[in-house]
Amino acid sequence: MEKQSKHWEDVRDLFRNWREENCRQSEDVVDLWKEVLVNHFSKLGDEGWLVLEQVFIAALDCHSMEVANFCLSKLNQEFPDSMRVKRLKAMKYEALERYEDALDILDIIIKKDETNAASRKRKVTIYKSQGMIIEAIKELTDYLRIFMADQEAWMELSDLYISQQEWNKAAFCVEELILHSPFNHLYLQRYAEIKYTQGGYENLEVARSYYAQAAKLNPNNVRALYGLLLTSVHMASNSKCPSQKKKESIKLSEWATNQLSQLQSSNDSKLFSSQILEGMGNLQIGNDAKN
Amino acid sequence: MFSKMAELLLDSNIRFWVFLPIIMITFLVGILRHYFSLIIASQKKVELLQVQDSQALVRSRLLRENGKFLPRQAFLMRRHFFNSEDMGYFKTQKRAAPTTNPMTDPNAMTDMLKGNVTNVLPMIIIGGWINWAFSGFVTTKVPFPLTLRFKPMLQRGVELVSLDASWVSSASWYFLNVFGLRSIYSLVLGENNAADQTKAMADQMSGAAMAMPQDPKAAFKAEWESLEIVQHQWALRNVEAELLGITSHSKTD
Repeated sequence: MEKQSKHWEDVRDLFRNWREENCRQSEDVVDLWKEVLVNHFSKLGDEGWLVLEQVFIAALDCHSMEVANFCLSKLNQEFPDSMRVKRLKAMKYEALERYEDALDILDIIIKKDETNAASRKRKVTIYKSQGMIIEAIKELTDYLRIFMADQEAWMELSDLYISQQEWNKAAFCVEELILHSPFNHLYLQRYAEIKYTQGGYENLEVARSYYAQAAKLNPNNVRALYGLLLTSVHMASNSKCPSQKKKESIKLSEWATNQLSQLQSSNDSKLFSSQILEGMGNLQIGNDAKN
Repeated sequence: MFSKMAELLLDSNIRFWVFLPIIMITFLVGILRHYFSLIIASQKKVELLQVQDSQALVRSRLLRENGKFLPRQAFLMRRHFFNSEDMGYFKTQKRAAPTTNPMTDPNAMTDMLKGNVTNVLPMIIIGGWINWAFSGFVTTKVPFPLTLRFKPMLQRGVELVSLDASWVSSASWYFLNVFGLRSIYSLVLGENNAADQTKAMADQMSGAAMAMPQDPKAAFKAEWESLEIVQHQWALRNVEAELLGITSHSKTD
């Protein structure tokens, strides 16, 4: 990225864009802030406070405490009583691994404003970063009892449950996500994966349907296609499977194989190779191929 | 009979002692109102129960709309959570009905009082004062001809039959200012300022300022009913067949 030639207004627009789209470009944010925006802070007006918050969080991500302290002290001067700034302070303690202090601040915030969802979620992350998964799950379920339409929280809870191998509960969380956006093929694929991992004939059947739906919604979803192939092969070899379903499963596995080989030989091979590499966990190479 | 009225020449003192003061007064009152309302504005406190109820309603609505994408058992489990007779959310969560009369709710009363103090009271006082102090002047002339119909609007307080309709009286000039300064306020105070009276007036007309808090009990009952009658039709029943290009292949459930 050419940073020298950047005008401060361009950087401001770029930051705004990242804020709106929830991009986590922490290193870029900190670099651009240091090089360009810090000298033009007064020109930002009211937006400056939002930028400070953004840079503060990015700085915590990069553990550049100098920048973070600068932002926090500025925000603290301007809004000494603000809950939002207090939460940022808690985040700083969190980054410094002073979890007790962070929890104290968060508890004070929640006591004052019971509906402060963000602070409750931060408590979960504190437990999670300490490796106390059980406590994190408990905190998060308490949170979801009240804020039960919070998608993000359901997603996090499903991850936590997966890490504990509580497949049934994880599946429940992903079901919530599917309810929220039923046409997101990644959620469907995730649900199918959980069901496939659970095993058993009924679960395999469900997994096959959801893999199929994911593959239908996005024909390029190689992971779903492989999942479809695996589940249908499994089902076809299962003794519980009635013959009609067996036939269908065999057909499905043939279809999935076809699709996969077509994808491989198609001109779109670049996309395919990047996806399959990602699927195999070679994330670094996958990212390079994408760029 | 006049074919063309003789040009009126206004005393330049009118400009300095009537025309400009009215602009200044309305403008400064608007600014004052903005800061005053900032001082007495009370943060709307949201109750935890309210949040929980609204989120439950959202979730139940999603279940009704998108429940068909879940396996049957998952759908039934969720419906049981909301609708079950003895332990369902919509059945067991007893919420007190909101006070039916806003007069008995002290919070609503203070809000209403604040609205009146910042909006209606200054309007009456300043309007009356302007009418009393600056009445009877012809202050300015709009630079285009107008029909007679505009006379009551532009020449309040000056009842002259023969005066051309494009002349503006002092009282009308005040009203023109009240309604016309909005863009100036947003320039000076930024967007969403409280200086603008027209918005508050529109609120009062439509009764939006008196909007009743929604009743969770009724909302729960309605949601319970609509959730109760939802038929679960699994949307993914035929997905494999569709993938294989087989149409209307009926499968056993």
